[in-house]
Amino acid sequence: MKIKFRIRRYNPAESEESAPYIQAYTVDVSEGMTVLEALLKIADEQDPTLAFRKSCRSAICGSCAVTINGFSRLACSTQVIPEFKKMGDMVIEPLSNHAALKDLMVDFSPFWKKIEKVTPYLTPKGGSENAAITTAEETAIDSSQKCIMCGCCNSECNALEIDGKYIGPSALAKAWRFVGDVREGNSVKRLERLSEEHGMWDCVRCVHCTQYCPKDVAPLKQIEMLRSAAMAKGILDNPGAKHVEALVESVRKIGRLDEAAMTFKTLGFLRSLGMIPLGFKMQIHGKMPHIHLFSQIEKIDEVKRIYEETGREKEEKKEKKG
Amino acid sequence: MAATLKYAYYPGCASQEITKEANETTRLVAKELGIGLYDMPKANCCGAGLLTDYDYDLYIALNARIFAEAEEMGMDIMTICSTCLMVMSRANADLQKNTALMAKTNEILGRAGLRYTGGVKIKQLLWVLAGDYGLDNLRKKVVKPLDRLKVAPFYGCHSLRPSDALGFDDPAKPWSMEATIKALGADPVEYRGKTKCCGFQVDLVNEETAETMTATRLLDGKAKGANCFVTPCPFCHINLDNYQNLAEKRVSKKISMPVFHLAQLVGLSLGLSAEELGLSRHMVSPESVLK
Repeated sequence: MKIKFRIRRYNPAESEESAPYIQAYTVDVSEGMTVLEALLKIADEQDPTLAFRKSCRSAICGSCAVTINGFSRLACSTQVIPEFKKMGDMVIEPLSNHAALKDLMVDFSPFWKKIEKVTPYLTPKGGSENAAITTAEETAIDSSQKCIMCGCCNSECNALEIDGKYIGPSALAKAWRFVGDVREGNSVKRLERLSEEHGMWDCVRCVHCTQYCPKDVAPLKQIEMLRSAAMAKGILDNPGAKHVEALVESVRKIGRLDEAAMTFKTLGFLRSLGMIPLGFKMQIHGKMPHIHLFSQIEKIDEVKRIYEETGREKEEKKEKKG
Repeated sequence: MAATLKYAYYPGCASQEITKEANETTRLVAKELGIGLYDMPKANCCGAGLLTDYDYDLYIALNARIFAEAEEMGMDIMTICSTCLMVMSRANADLQKNTALMAKTNEILGRAGLRYTGGVKIKQLLWVLAGDYGLDNLRKKVVKPLDRLKVAPFYGCHSLRPSDALGFDDPAKPWSMEATIKALGADPVEYRGKTKCCGFQVDLVNEETAETMTATRLLDGKAKGANCFVTPCPFCHINLDNYQNLAEKRVSKKISMPVFHLAQLVGLSLGLSAEELGLSRHMVSPESVLK
């Protein structure tokens, strides 16, 4: 089957002003051929100047991530024919949120800097002689360990698209690998650092990272575990944690989310004042949320009971008794 | 057949207050279409994604309490909030595939006199229209085709991802909004940002990111020729409409883009009045595109 590949090319060596452009190649694609095999075929038979990264060809090394028809994927684990049949096109571009160096190759140094920021190695308590852990303890950090550092999640991340300083899903998933390890001696310090600006609370929960991760690392899930670990450790002095606390209290009291109270509790008094001009405008359109004093859901006692009987709060109650 | 559709109706917290026009319009539209919506007076908040950041077990148990009410009613849940949809669907998927979690959760629910067996499906209005009700049936109900509207469909995040828990549409090639817009006689506009984030989740945590993101999505759709947006999610609506003014200031550009709730767009085509649709509650007036 002959398929037209449209590949984004870029070669800054040609001139300082060179801009990316799309070049088309027609490839005779056989059943089962992957996008990486097609790229290799183009380089072999049509254009040896086409630049792209690859190594293992079996979704283990993480080198060949590119944007295929708008979404970040491994070229070696994406078959051409089903992809073309579904999307009706075959557009290959470099990863997003990464600067292109040449053609499909991107600069990975910002990616590694973010990973380095989370100190990606274990710092055990007192040098811990015995490094063995149980299967259950290992399972807790298992997803994070599947990461092959391909960059698909950072490429898809909507928060990184806007704020390049954001730590990003790959580094956060890696951070959970160490925070969640029972042998780690500096989990609290790590969580404190991750709670700073451009840290884990800046995730916009767009779920792109988890949707497009080729190894099912589910970075969003790891971010949620980091956040709840930080809250359990009492690291609450930041807008992200305050926002969650406000919701937890609102649902406990009335069973619902109380927008007015949540804004106030998250922003604090001074920043809430800044919302007043918008508040007036919202009021004119009948959009100002009211404080719910009496509008509880029915059977709120069931909700209260569930709070008392569940996970963290149950544990805390036990500890107090003990 | 369409007339027999019945759902346990979960409007979500936002649409009971700040975006209540979405809730009120959905009820009117459902009545016109003959879709039965049954209130869930006991239903608590799903956690809006934030409960997962506090305590996973509590998140699961509180969501299971919502499902238990629907199960007792013998109906699937229909929500009009994509975040509720995603949050509830993830909890439901976790419960359905993890029998130990289901048992543990039922132990907790049992102490509050409740039980959930896993038999409820979670849907949103968009899926009910494009799926259960059917767009051919919807097309037959249209009395005022929206042929002057060039609509940018704004899926946002939580009606599409994670697809393994949601499962209705395809996040890489979604179709349900475009098909619904066409069924109402309007023109869908294609633009890259339609499946991206509105920024709502960081409105109160990182305003710069949130407002820039909102502006980027609106400007993207506008550049591709849209004269209005439509979204199935009240949180997206809050950012795209309520905070459009803040987004404009952040990027120093005038946007002036009317944004409809999905139910309002359907309501318009069914001949409901601007008053019935609560359009005066929008911060950006849709008047210009309705003349």
